[in-house]
Amino acid sequence: MATYTLRKVLSLIPMMLFISFLIYLGIELMPGDAVDFLIPPDALATMSAEQLNAMRESLGLNDPFLVRYFKWLGGLLQGEFGYSIQSGVPVATLMKNHLPATIELTVTALIFSSIFGVLFGVLSALKKGSLIDQVFSLIGMVGVAVPQFLLGLICINAFALHLNLLPAGGRMASAGQSFVERLPYLVMPALVLGFSLTAGVMRYARSSMLDSMGRDYMKTARAKGIPEWRVNLLHGLRTALTPVVVLIGFRLPMLIGGAVVIEEVFQWPGIGSLFVNAVRSQNTPLVMMIGFFSVLLVLISSIMVDIVTAFLDPRIKLG
Amino acid sequence: MSSLDRKMDRILRREESGTARRGIKNRTLRKIFANKLSIAGFVIFAVIMLMCVCAPLFTQYSSTKVDLRSILEAPSASHIFGTDKIGRDIWARILYGGRVSIGVGFGSALIATVIGVSLGTICGYKGGWLDGVVMKLSEVLMAFPQMILVLILVTVTGQSLWNLILIFSVTGWPSMYRMARSQMLSIREEEYVQALKAFGIGSMRIAFVHMLPNAIGPIFVNVTLSTAMFILQEASLSFLGLGVPLEVATWGNILNVAQDLTILKDAPWIWLPTGIVVTLFVVSINFIGDGLRDATDPSQIG
Amino acid sequence: MKVKKLLCLLLSAAMLAAAVAGCSGEKPAQDTAANAPEATGGGGSEEPGGNAGSDAQTAGTPLADVRVRQALAYAIDIDAIVETLFDGKAEKAVSFTAPGDWLNTEIPVYEYNPEKAKELLKEANWPADYTLDVVYYYDDQQTVDLMTIIGQYWQEVGVKAQFRKLEGDLASQLWVPPADMVNGPAAVKWDLAYAAVAALSESEFYNRFASTASNNSSVPRQDGLDELIERSNATMDTDEQKAAFKDIQQFVAENVLAMPLYHQVCFIYTSNDLDTAGSVFGNDQFSYEKNILDWTISRDDHTMYTNGGPQEFFWYPMVNPGYMINTELVFDKLINADSSLNPTDGMLAESYTVSEDGLSIEFVLRDGLTWHDGEPLTAEDVKFTLELMLKAPGTNAVASEVMQAITGAADFISGAAGDLAGVTIDGSKVTVSFDKVSANALLVFSQWPVLPKHCLENADPAALQQDAFWQKPIGSGPFMVDEVVLNNYATLKRWDGYYKQGTGNIETIYMFASGENDSNLVVNATAGKIDYAWSKSTDEAKAIEALDFMSVNVANIRYTRCFYINQFPHEANIK
Repeated sequence: MATYTLRKVLSLIPMMLFISFLIYLGIELMPGDAVDFLIPPDALATMSAEQLNAMRESLGLNDPFLVRYFKWLGGLLQGEFGYSIQSGVPVATLMKNHLPATIELTVTALIFSSIFGVLFGVLSALKKGSLIDQVFSLIGMVGVAVPQFLLGLICINAFALHLNLLPAGGRMASAGQSFVERLPYLVMPALVLGFSLTAGVMRYARSSMLDSMGRDYMKTARAKGIPEWRVNLLHGLRTALTPVVVLIGFRLPMLIGGAVVIEEVFQWPGIGSLFVNAVRSQNTPLVMMIGFFSVLLVLISSIMVDIVTAFLDPRIKLG
Repeated sequence: MSSLDRKMDRILRREESGTARRGIKNRTLRKIFANKLSIAGFVIFAVIMLMCVCAPLFTQYSSTKVDLRSILEAPSASHIFGTDKIGRDIWARILYGGRVSIGVGFGSALIATVIGVSLGTICGYKGGWLDGVVMKLSEVLMAFPQMILVLILVTVTGQSLWNLILIFSVTGWPSMYRMARSQMLSIREEEYVQALKAFGIGSMRIAFVHMLPNAIGPIFVNVTLSTAMFILQEASLSFLGLGVPLEVATWGNILNVAQDLTILKDAPWIWLPTGIVVTLFVVSINFIGDGLRDATDPSQIG
Repeated sequence: MKVKKLLCLLLSAAMLAAAVAGCSGEKPAQDTAANAPEATGGGGSEEPGGNAGSDAQTAGTPLADVRVRQALAYAIDIDAIVETLFDGKAEKAVSFTAPGDWLNTEIPVYEYNPEKAKELLKEANWPADYTLDVVYYYDDQQTVDLMTIIGQYWQEVGVKAQFRKLEGDLASQLWVPPADMVNGPAAVKWDLAYAAVAALSESEFYNRFASTASNNSSVPRQDGLDELIERSNATMDTDEQKAAFKDIQQFVAENVLAMPLYHQVCFIYTSNDLDTAGSVFGNDQFSYEKNILDWTISRDDHTMYTNGGPQEFFWYPMVNPGYMINTELVFDKLINADSSLNPTDGMLAESYTVSEDGLSIEFVLRDGLTWHDGEPLTAEDVKFTLELMLKAPGTNAVASEVMQAITGAADFISGAAGDLAGVTIDGSKVTVSFDKVSANALLVFSQWPVLPKHCLENADPAALQQDAFWQKPIGSGPFMVDEVVLNNYATLKRWDGYYKQGTGNIETIYMFASGENDSNLVVNATAGKIDYAWSKSTDEAKAIEALDFMSVNVANIRYTRCFYINQFPHEANIK
């Protein structure tokens, strides 16, 4: 087990190196550079080429591409995440400032989608073919097909603009509010993000539950005279949940990428909006680190899922 | 397997009583037509496609014609879905915008499929170093959260319609490749392939002419699902203002104006119908995809 | 197998149809102006006589012909655009100068007249196959809508145009002047560029038409214009300046050297909780005396809510000295200005005197001035700031011009002199002397703040914005930076060390983080969390107008949107 894990983790290193190079190359290929975004276009008109060059020089933008890449990589290996090119703020600080908002949003959405996805999925399976099953599967279909931002807009329109029940966006009204006071801001984005995730979990839970309901030991349990709800709950659900948990594990990193749109719609000050702004203003170090960490998160969680599945299912050989 | 048993019994009963349908001989088609949802999906899909392709037949307006005398008009007899902020007919924009959105979705899915399936077929059949390299490349691409990769690429290439298709193709081929490759790996072991080899038929010929058609079912399922995904992604990107340039009418660009709270609140006719059309279209493609999957999956009986 | 092939065929046919439809669907959109009429019956018919090698093209570009430029102006119905797209919340521009006593009312006005436009184009032998390459750099929906509308107007008089948004290095694509300012060829590719001029002084509108301007990429040297511009810059007398600018306006309008479209106005939003003690609102893109110390707020916590909090840093003031309310309130200037940005009495300077010949200004600083951290604010800080402005990047054109007119500026920049010779210090007296009369000197001293030497003397001027100072700056204004949570909010606290105390009760200013365009403004205002803010967005003004607890005040500003027209010879960029 330990060697298996170790080997998996070690295999990440060349992968991450290659990916970091790719991201750096991509940013190199973007038109323009950070200086173009530091000075507004109308002010650019009045600056001399020497001035612009001096600025590029002092920001280290004039070094050859490879030199800059290895400088950045060297810094990373020493635990130096770099500085936002626009403000000089450490990237680590920026990410630290935005991470809580994203985690608050995505974890809520994940919990919501897991609970309701499993609940509805299992219910559908138990009442297979019934009206409830059909309604749920239709909702599931729509949930996958409706664009997240559209659902967000409809909710803002209904609950914020017309009913005035919830704020239309933002994360808090004033500084240092407690979580409970911030809750109204969280409700809509988390529900909208959770809704589209629920559909997937629901379909998965349904088929997994159906699968386990047909197993022999369920029949045995039933034959032993155990009440139906106990059979389903204790035996069926427990087996059915394992693959669902794995699926949810896979979802974890997707929430950062998937929250980009929702964060923009609801003006949620998280990593997603930080990333969109960084991409727009070609803030290389920031784009690099967010891209890098999201990839790392994907890879780590896929290894974790591998290990967990291997652990749960003795048929899968380690190694 | 109780459901299977029941199904078998049902089929048997039907055949015995002579009510089994004789109309369609082919099993796959019969299964598709038996699935009501995929029929419904196909009908919606066909209607939307037809209206977009033959847009001039369904509206007398152009999608780009500005009319400053009739801005922000609510739906009426002359403009059935009203007009936008500079007096363009929303209905016409939905139809003409659909051409672009559907084109981007299908085009990207098609290119991604061609790339992914060709690579998958070759690599799956031949293996070797090429397989190793392509596999690693697909791993790298799949390690990115989709949206993050697309956003980086959009900034690298700049915003244009063709760039967007390129980006979707680049980000979309790995899953096609994986799927085609695994299909080939399993088909490779079948006896008829060994026989063909023994006949001395070229390996490319075996792979593309004799093996690939057997994997066509899952490939089509993937094409439909990718199309749906790309249409949604185009809409999201355009909504963020990072997709197709704003002057081109697409479903996403029509929805872009809903970022303005006044429009969002007071002029729902601009964004709501468009949103519904996008959703309907994606739902219909998903229904077709599901139907196709069930129909081409030999483990399901129908 | 048969079915699979059938399926195959069916789907490929569908996809092909979609792909074809996609391509044909995008054509009229990409080429908005030209192909649109297909559905409406071919409005943009062929102009007779528009063949290659015509008069208009022999000059190197059809745009070199003044009749073509006039026609393009005649073809656009700006009144209708202002009324609809801008909801009546902008002002049609006949010149760069906004209506008022700086505007020459005699200049030719190109009222909407498509027939006249067609006539002029015919006279000029407009090549019907020429497609104008029109560029812009704003990414908002309104700009795209405006471009679409204008494209249609031009198409109605038979001029094709394609619009594209510029990406990347804008300076090199927009403002590079050709090596030969008479014959060209142009160093930029576009035919027309949609841009905005946010001017502090009138000279910012017109200096760029001179053949010596470093940003004149579009207008060849005109007989007599350089001299007119020179005249407007050589005097500090307002009446003489006005007369000179009126002559320039006449020249620019007659020759349509550029095409002013509309003036934006500044919307200032105040809540019913705020009593601004009768202050006159003005151009909030810059700083003016608002008497904020006299304002009262009826909130119990004496907090005023606004936007413009730092996202990644507090903006350094070199580019925009008063754009953000935090810059305006945290940093004091030498001189005060009124709501029309006319320099008034002293601020940090108790008094100031301009010499008879206009070549030197003497400032006498107040006694006992300190920075927010308690360090004394001295004449050394003033000198340091002027030196820093010469070396920092992005210093606004007007300020930069004034700084460079200071005696010894050239030597200081080149490194030949260790300090700026034109700035002399005598106790609390600072004298700035100039090599030539600098028309905007007082204006600049009323807008650009004094910065603390003890905090910034070790900063790299070329990367000034990246200095840690801008995370939580120290100034000398009536409010000091208190709490900062980047990209979230920041608070300012009333500073009791300020040289005067007002009658108001605002103790804290809470600023939501925002950039130039605050996408949260309407949301926050709706939630009752904006007491004072401003923007130039007509959409926002419309939304906030609808809130019964907010008022919208309108102020005229020097902010003109226009087309620059590339009159230097250049090849058609769209073939």
